[in-house]
Order: sequence, then C-alpha cells, then structure tokens
Amino acid sequence: MDHNKHIDIHDEENYDPTVWVPKAHSHGTKALWKTFWLLFFVTILDIILYFQMTPGMGRNITFILLGLVKAGFIVFIFMHMSYEQKTLKLTIILPMIFVLYLIAYLLKEASFWNSLNW
Amino acid sequence: MSSNAVNTLPTWAGGRSPFRVSYGKFMMWIFLLSDAFTFSSLLVGYGAVRFSFPEPVLEEISFGTNLHEKYHDGFVEMLQAKGVFSESHWPSPDLVFNHFPFLHGLHLPLLFVSLMTFILIFSSVTMVLAVEAGQRMQQKKVALYMFYTILGGLAFLGCQAWEWTQFITEGATLNSNPWGPVPFAALFFIVTGFHGFHVFSGVVLNAVIFTNVLKGTYEKRGHYEMVEKTGLYWHFVDLVWVFVFTFFYLI
Repeated sequence: MDHNKHIDIHDEENYDPTVWVPKAHSHGTKALWKTFWLLFFVTILDIILYFQMTPGMGRNITFILLGLVKAGFIVFIFMHMSYEQKTLKLTIILPMIFVLYLIAYLLKEASFWNSLNW
Repeated sequence: MSSNAVNTLPTWAGGRSPFRVSYGKFMMWIFLLSDAFTFSSLLVGYGAVRFSFPEPVLEEISFGTNLHEKYHDGFVEMLQAKGVFSESHWPSPDLVFNHFPFLHGLHLPLLFVSLMTFILIFSSVTMVLAVEAGQRMQQKKVALYMFYTILGGLAFLGCQAWEWTQFITEGATLNSNPWGPVPFAALFFIVTGFHGFHVFSGVVLNAVIFTNVLKGTYEKRGHYEMVEKTGLYWHFVDLVWVFVFTFFYLI
C-alpha cells in the first residue's frame, strides 16, 4: 500500500478515521459576541443580586439557575454543541444525570450531618 | 508477510463517522465529560460540607470602607471577637473576598473575583474567535486571537496567585482558617487550585498550538481542527469557573 499518496481528509466514501475531519465552515461571529455580552451582564447581575437579595435558599437557587444559563451558552455557542449531531449531544449531556443524583444524595446527607453536630 | 496483512486491515469498518466528528474531537468531548464528573464531585462535596454548617452571621460594612484606617489591620480579629467569624458557622463570602490589589485595606467585596471572571470570559471569546478564523483558514487571525487567549490565561493565573498569597498571609492554609471552619479554607485551596491547574494546562496547550499555527502546521494539514479541540478544553475551564464562582463566591 502506498502511504505517500494524497489522502482526501474529507472523503465520505473511503472514510479513514485517522485523518477524517468534516469540512469546516464558519457560522459568523455575531452569536459569539452576543454570548460574550450575555455572560458579562449575567455576571454583573449576579453581583447586584448578591447585595440586593436576602441571603438564603432563594438567593442560592437564583445563583445556581443563572450559573446554568451561563453554562448552557458556553456549551452550546462557544463549544459549538448546537451544531453537533443529536447523538453526540445526548452522549455528552445525558450522563450528567449522575451528577443530579449525587447532588440529591449529598444534600440529604449534609442535612443529616447538620442534625448530628448542631 | 503477516505484518503487511495487519497493516492493510481497515481500522474502522463502520463506513463513516458515527457522530460526524473526527475521533480526536470526540475523544476531547469524552475527556471533558470525565473531567466534569471530577469537578462535580469536588463542588457537590463542597456543597454538602457547606450545608452541614449553619448559615453565615452577617455584618453590614459599606462598600469602600477603609478597614486599614478603622481597625488598624485588625479587621479579621474584630470579626472573630464579635462572633461573625467562628468555627461553628460558615463565613459570609463578602467578608472574606474583599481585597483588591494596590487598594490595601479597602472593603471591596467580590470586586476582584468579578475582574477574574471578566478576564476568563474575555479569553473565552478570543478563543472562539480563533476557532472561527481557523474555519476560514486565516492563519494570521488565528495566531492573533490565540495570543490574546494566552495573555488572558496568564492574567487569570496571576490574579489567582495574588489571591492565594493574600489568603496565606492572613493565615489560611489546608488546616487553618481565620474566617471560620477549616473545611472552608481547605476546599477553597483544593478546588481553586485544581481549577487553576486546569487553566495552567490550558495555557500550555494553547501555547503549543499557537506555535504550530505560527509554523504553518495547520495550513499544511488543510484544517485548523486542533485549535477547535484545544478551544473545547479552554471553554470547559471557563465553564467550571462559572460554578466555582457561584459556589465559593456567591453562595
């Protein structure tokens, strides 16, 4: 086999997984800058809410929800997840269910520790 | 020859890429998923310890108060004596994270961490602009945006080094904490340290890819996907910071 011959890195028919890449095309920079400003202003909103809201569960949940909004924009726009195939999206996002389980379990555990100590 | 026969075996018989991404990019996603689990464990662990302690005792101090003048650098001791900082409850973040470089002694809660967050957001947007320029095969623009990204990363690391120095000077270590329970300082150093190490590795990876961009490696290869892959890693570092910021500095 002649290894020096030119390999088409975008070839769909004779697919070679060691070099194959899909053809790249730009989606423009408009969405990127919009995401930047969104992250910027949501961070400022976080700081304003920190001093304006009464400390407690309500404020904490607001911060976590705003954090998830920021995370969503980073993953879907900055990391181009929205342009990926559905199978890839599910492969990466569905396993995060385990984290939800960990949160639920450890918060229950934490309230038990709390009852032991105080 | 048998070795020849092995070499000509098809590596993949599935016909086409199952996810329509290159294997390298797919592996980066899988790695980031595993890294997300690591950070989730650390942050959820922090949350559990945090909620096993009673809520912080609050102390109203107006923004920009000159603590140096008012308490002669005995601010932390004053709060300890008042019972605001005590081992029995979690400290309020605005009383801990109130320093700013070159403005010694002023009470500026959460100002420095906001600056750090903006630096990281900005280096994220320059990274994604480098990826976008790579998709259009514009070598010079990729190089320029990657350069800005590396500068942003170094600026962030500098900020973190300053913040750590500040806290260590005040007496916070892995097993002592002037503001309250020991796990607060310990987890602060472990989690921001682990994140900071990711930033450091990201800067190294970006520097390697940046050199390759300058050398024209990706022009020869015909695509800038390496920039996209290292970009995924860099955005992940920013993504983790969103949650470190939320859990350590806001909650």
